[in-house]
Amino acid sequence: MAGLKNADHYAQGEKFSPGLLKWVLLMGGAGAAVLFFIIASASGEQFRGAMAYSWLFALIYFLSLTVGGIFWTLLHHASNSGWGIVIRRLMENLGSVVIVIFVLALPLLAPGFRDALWEWFPERAKIKAEAVEHAEHELAARRAQLTENLKAAETSLLAMEKENAAALAKATEGEKVYLNAELAAAKGRLETAKAALGSDEEIKEQLKYEHFKHSNVLLYKKKGYLNEAFWHFRFFFYGAALFGIIYFLRHWSIKSDETGDPKFFRRMRRAACGFLPLFATAWTFLVFDWLMALDYAWFSTMWGVYLFAGAALNSMAFLIILVTLLRRAGYLKEVITMEHYHLMGKLLLAFTIFWAYIAFSQFFLIWYANITEETKFYLTRNTDFWNPYSIAFLVIGHFFVPFTILLIQGFKKKPTVICAIAGWTLLMHFFDVYWIIIPERGPSLTHGESLIIPGAVWTDLLAWISVAGLFGFGLMHFLGKGSLYPCRDPRLDESLNVVN
Amino acid sequence: MSTTTASTKQIFGIVAEFDSASDLYHAAEKVRDAGFKRWDVHTPFPIHGMDHAMGLKKSWLSGVVLCGGVTGFTTALILQFFTQVNLYPTIVQGKPTNLNTVPAFFPVTFELTILFSAFATLFGLLIFVLLPRWNHPLFESALFKKFSDDGFLLVIESKDPKFREDKTTEFLESIGAKAIERVDA
Repeated sequence: MAGLKNADHYAQGEKFSPGLLKWVLLMGGAGAAVLFFIIASASGEQFRGAMAYSWLFALIYFLSLTVGGIFWTLLHHASNSGWGIVIRRLMENLGSVVIVIFVLALPLLAPGFRDALWEWFPERAKIKAEAVEHAEHELAARRAQLTENLKAAETSLLAMEKENAAALAKATEGEKVYLNAELAAAKGRLETAKAALGSDEEIKEQLKYEHFKHSNVLLYKKKGYLNEAFWHFRFFFYGAALFGIIYFLRHWSIKSDETGDPKFFRRMRRAACGFLPLFATAWTFLVFDWLMALDYAWFSTMWGVYLFAGAALNSMAFLIILVTLLRRAGYLKEVITMEHYHLMGKLLLAFTIFWAYIAFSQFFLIWYANITEETKFYLTRNTDFWNPYSIAFLVIGHFFVPFTILLIQGFKKKPTVICAIAGWTLLMHFFDVYWIIIPERGPSLTHGESLIIPGAVWTDLLAWISVAGLFGFGLMHFLGKGSLYPCRDPRLDESLNVVN
Repeated sequence: MSTTTASTKQIFGIVAEFDSASDLYHAAEKVRDAGFKRWDVHTPFPIHGMDHAMGLKKSWLSGVVLCGGVTGFTTALILQFFTQVNLYPTIVQGKPTNLNTVPAFFPVTFELTILFSAFATLFGLLIFVLLPRWNHPLFESALFKKFSDDGFLLVIESKDPKFREDKTTEFLESIGAKAIERVDA
């Protein structure tokens, strides 16, 4: 048919040169980050704690965009899609920036930041110290009690042996069985009492556990998961898993640019199916550890999906804007058509609905069931100024506005309109992530005295600008390497000529 | 090339068969440019871009679906607010009976919106394509049976204002039809 594009004409690919922009972003981001950490080190303990929340907020905002990039790459391979081959390299590049975000997440390991964010760290440390003291203090008394138990068991056994010896002599067969069993039970009690006595170390260990359980039963029950060693292991596991996934997929994808060997294409597809469970596990538990554990007593099983929905939606919004900016700068002009815009717009609409569905389900179940340990999260966010905030930004801004506009087909084919909506969605994501993290800050740091920490909103913005700059630098770095689209992919033809 | 002999019955239209999807695509462009309105193509599989080649406008069905959805949405809200808040205020789980209870009504609202949209889609579509009906004149055509196998067919109906049996047949031959059949009404 006439007007069809031949993939052979596009096999040389397109190189992107970020030029000065890359370094401007690096300088801006690094400058803001340096300023941020200078302020943090100069502030008092409470304000430094508040700034830990600022940093986490900025990290999660950009981490969710990169994780969305990884997700779209994985989904594209796993579902064997053809439409988005020309956009896939942008997804891969966006996903690769996850490494930059993980490097920036290292300050979260510093005790000043870590303990302010996740109260279970200081709480556990406090209980442990108390438990040691408690064990020392109680050791003598417990030993005395255990010794007494042992003595009592010994005495009762002796008495029974004496009594039974006389009785056994004239007992019938049936009575003998009964008496012997009684004797055996008394011997058993003695053995138990002996074992319970144990060494000093064993008694102390037991006392510590008892103290832990009585001081904070929730932390005690969660100790298998919420403990320092496992948490630190997971911290690095998330980084390795997420970056590892996208590193291999991008590596093979760029390799196939040189030779066009279909073996890479098949390998990426197979690997993506295996990577998907790893990706889902890493992201779900990352948000459990970093966000849900901001209040370790609270839990929601929708949490992982909720954060995932926001990540997938907003990285698609980001991709739409990225494509438009690249086209405006003169790249990808022939490769990406309005059909691709329409397809991405449809995904944006689908994930707007998906996000709302998940967000509402989470709220609805907790609101209706009204169980004390679950309602805490929404109690903070549905009272005082957070209530109008939730309704304006999440209900109306995040759902109704983009949903209504994206329903209209023509809008999804107009880059200016779809970019405006994508920009709006990214702004609402800002408010969504803010709403997830920041309401926890005031009550946590002031022990319920105040909802907000005055002045901390400025450090929130400063943190966002720092991470934004360094995120942009990372993105420019990855965009500048290799072609802007997989130029020798076996199905480039299909993507170039896609019609929907 | 074969044309059927003149029939005494009224004519429904003319079926023309083309060699390939590509030929049919170009033929459709020419039929569109010739100004025909009441015509259609039948193929074993969907052909990308055929809408454009045929000059089809965007379907009105999405508008009908939107009306269905809005009706469902308002019906559900009115039904629940009227019965549960106005007529017989019902307190469930200690939830208020005023505007703040609206989250409790969302699941039903959501479902009714979807139900009404689905009904609007189905019945709207049936009305647009004039279904159900007992039979269709095209089923009498021998050529038409090939559309589900390997036939790329183009049908021009006699109701088209530009339709003249002889001239239209000639026109179809001129744009590359390899077989043409007259179909009785």
